[in-house]
Amino acid sequence: MELTQTAYKDLILGPEEGMAYGGTFVPEVLLPSLHEITDAFEEIKNDECFVAEFHHALCTFSGRPTAFTPLPRLSAMLGGAQVFLKNEGLNHTGAHKITHCIGQILLAKKLGKRRIIAETGAGQHGYATAAVCARMGLDCTVYMGRKDYERQRPNVYWMELLGAKVAAVDDGDQTLNDAVIAAFKDWVAHPESYYLLGSAVGPRPYPAMNTFFQKVVGEEIRRQCQAATGRLPDYLVACVGGGSNALGMFFDFLDDEGVTLVGVEAGGRGSAPGEHAAKMRQGKLGVFEGYHSYFLQDDDGNIAPTHSVSAGLDYCGISPILAFLADEGRVRFETASDEAALTAVKTLARTEGIIPALESAHAFAHAFELAAQLPKDCIVVVNASGRGEKDLFITMRHFQEESLRDYARHLLAF
Amino acid sequence: MNTLEKTGGFSLMNGRFREGQLPIMAHLVVGYPSLEESLRTAEAYIRAGVQVLELQIPFSHPTADGPIITAACREAVRQGVTVRDCIVAIAALRKRHPSQEIVAMSYLNRIYAFGCQRFMGEMEAFGVQHLLVPDLPVDHIDFPSFQNLRNRRVKLVPVLAANVSDARLEKLLQMGFDFFYLMSDFKITGSAFGLHPRLREVIARVKSHPVAHCQSAYAPFPRVGVGFGISTPEQARLVVEDADLAIVGSALIQAQREGRLDAYLDELKNTFARATECA
Ligand SMILES: Cc1ncc(COP(=O)(O)O)c(C=O)c1O
Repeated sequence: MELTQTAYKDLILGPEEGMAYGGTFVPEVLLPSLHEITDAFEEIKNDECFVAEFHHALCTFSGRPTAFTPLPRLSAMLGGAQVFLKNEGLNHTGAHKITHCIGQILLAKKLGKRRIIAETGAGQHGYATAAVCARMGLDCTVYMGRKDYERQRPNVYWMELLGAKVAAVDDGDQTLNDAVIAAFKDWVAHPESYYLLGSAVGPRPYPAMNTFFQKVVGEEIRRQCQAATGRLPDYLVACVGGGSNALGMFFDFLDDEGVTLVGVEAGGRGSAPGEHAAKMRQGKLGVFEGYHSYFLQDDDGNIAPTHSVSAGLDYCGISPILAFLADEGRVRFETASDEAALTAVKTLARTEGIIPALESAHAFAHAFELAAQLPKDCIVVVNASGRGEKDLFITMRHFQEESLRDYARHLLAF
Repeated sequence: MNTLEKTGGFSLMNGRFREGQLPIMAHLVVGYPSLEESLRTAEAYIRAGVQVLELQIPFSHPTADGPIITAACREAVRQGVTVRDCIVAIAALRKRHPSQEIVAMSYLNRIYAFGCQRFMGEMEAFGVQHLLVPDLPVDHIDFPSFQNLRNRRVKLVPVLAANVSDARLEKLLQMGFDFFYLMSDFKITGSAFGLHPRLREVIARVKSHPVAHCQSAYAPFPRVGVGFGISTPEQARLVVEDADLAIVGSALIQAQREGRLDAYLDELKNTFARATECA
C-alpha cells in the first residue's frame, strides 16, 4: 500500500507505534523509566516554549545554523551534478551528535534528572554528552568499550576534562555494543538516572526523539538550498551508522517526492561477515538493544561482529525508522568501502578545503560516483555529519605513517 | 493432556514447597562449558531435587545478565551451540525425567531467528510450560512479528522489579500469567544479595490474585520466583519465606566452574532440611 507522503512524518513522530519496527524490547524493569521519557517527549514535541529553548541553545551553544556550502571545484572535477555540503562539522564538539544531546539534556532537566548515563563508540557522542552535562551541571558517566577507549584516547581525554566519568567496558568485544549493554545495566541499577542514547536506535522513544531533535538539519537545508539555488535538491546523501544524521537530514523532505534520499553504510573491507557494517545489504530482521529492525547476525540469531574504518559506523543495527523507510522504498541504501572513504577525505580536503569525519566521508564517496553520472542541472546535497580532526591518528596513519611514527617518538621523548 | 498435567503439576500447596523438593529454580547455560557437561549439570540439579530447572539458550550479547552468565553464554556461542542443539538437550532431559519442571530462557533474537512459531511448537512438544524472555515485555507479543509467541501451553514469565506500577501489575495479572519472576533489587544477575523493601508487597499482591482464565484446579494462584544476586543457600532460604522459589544462577555456574557444584547442592539440601525441621 502506498502511503501518502505526509503520512510518513505523522507515522514517525506520531504517538502511536505505526511502523512495523521499533518497539520497547527491554527488561520490564526499564519500562517505567522509558514510559516517563516517552510521556515527556510527547509533551515537549508540541510545546513551543520547549522548542524555542532548544533552538536557542542550538544557536548560542552549538553555533546553528550550520553552513550550506556549494562545492564548485569538486563539482567541476566530477563533471556532473552541482554538489553542496551541509556542514554539521561546524557544530560545537565537531559533529551533529550535540543536537540530540542538547534536546535530551533539556528533557532530562525537565524531568528533574541529576545523573546522565551514555554510551559511546568513537567518543563523539560521549564528548558531546559530556559537554552538555558540564554546561547543565549534571553528573555524567560514559561507557566505552575497552578497545574504543584505547584507540580513541583523545576523546576520552576531552570527556574527562569536561568532568565526565569514562568507564571502560571489558566485556565481550569491548566495542560499542558492549558499551550500550553496560549503559543499560547501569540504568537497571539506577533507574532514577537518565540514559542519553546517541543515535536514532534503541527502544521507544529514542528513535523518534532523536529524529525530532535532528530534523532541524533538513529544515535548514530546505531554506538554504532555496536561497542558494531557488529550488529543492534532487538528492540528499548521508552516511548511516545508527541513523541519526541521515534522519536529521531526510526527515523534512519525506513529503517531497522529487527528493531522492540515499543512505550510505560502511562497506568496510569487503562483504564477508565481520568485514563491514552494511545492515540494509546483509542484515536480517531481529531484535536487539531494545528495538526491532535489521541487524547483522549469523543464521542462528547471534549478533555478528562488524568492521569499519570509521568507529561511528561500526555498529550492527540500524534505526527502525530507516528500516521502515527502506522497506517502503523511500530511502535508498548504498555502501562505501574503507578505502573509498579515506580517498574521499583527501579529495574533499584538496578540492574544497574541508576535512570531513571518516563517517561522513562514506557519504561523500558515494556522492562523488552519483554526481558524476547526473546532469549538470541536478543538485546533490551531502551531509558532512562531522569534521575530520577527531580522526587525526587514523587518517594520518593511512596517509603519512612515517610522520606519525616520528611524532609518536617525539611525544614519548618529553 | 501432557505428561506434566498427569503427574499432578508443580503447583505449591498453599505456597509451600513439595516434599523432597527444593524450592529452587536452578539455572544453567546450555552448552557451557560443553553440551555434555551442561547436561550432566542438569542431572546433578535434578538429583538434588530442584523443583524447577531453568535452561538458558546462550546468546552472543545477553543484555540483562552479569559477568558470570555473560561469560558462560559467550563461551557456549563460541563453541557454536545452536538453538537446535538446545532443543535436543531439552528433549533428552525430558525423556529421562518426564515430570521434571523445565523453564526455558532465551533472549528474543535467537527465538526470532529460529522462528517464533516453530520454537513454541518445540517447547510444547517437550513439555516446557514456561518461557522466560528477558528482553520481551510480555505484552509485546501484540507486535505482529511476535504474535506467535502466544501459546496456550507454553506461557511467558513476566520478569518484574519493585518499580512495577500497580496498574501494570494489575494488567499482567489480568492477562493470566501464572508464574512471575521478580528481581530481588535493581541490579543484574550475579550482583550482591539484597531484597528491595517493596518486594514483599509485590509478592503478596501477585500471590493473592487468582490466575485469570485458569482452567486447572491445581494452580489457583500465580507462583513467584525471586532471583538476581542469590548466591548462598541461606539467602535462598530467606527468599522462600515469601516467594515460592529462589532462583539461583551465577552462584551455581561459579560453583560448577570451581569444581564444587556437588558440595554447593549438598549445602542447599542441608539448609532446607534444617529449615523444614525447624518449621
Ligand atoms: C561524525 C559522525 N557521523 C555519523 C555518525 C554515525 O551515527 P548516525 O548514523 O547516528 O548519524 C557518527 C557516530 O559516532 C559520527 O560521529
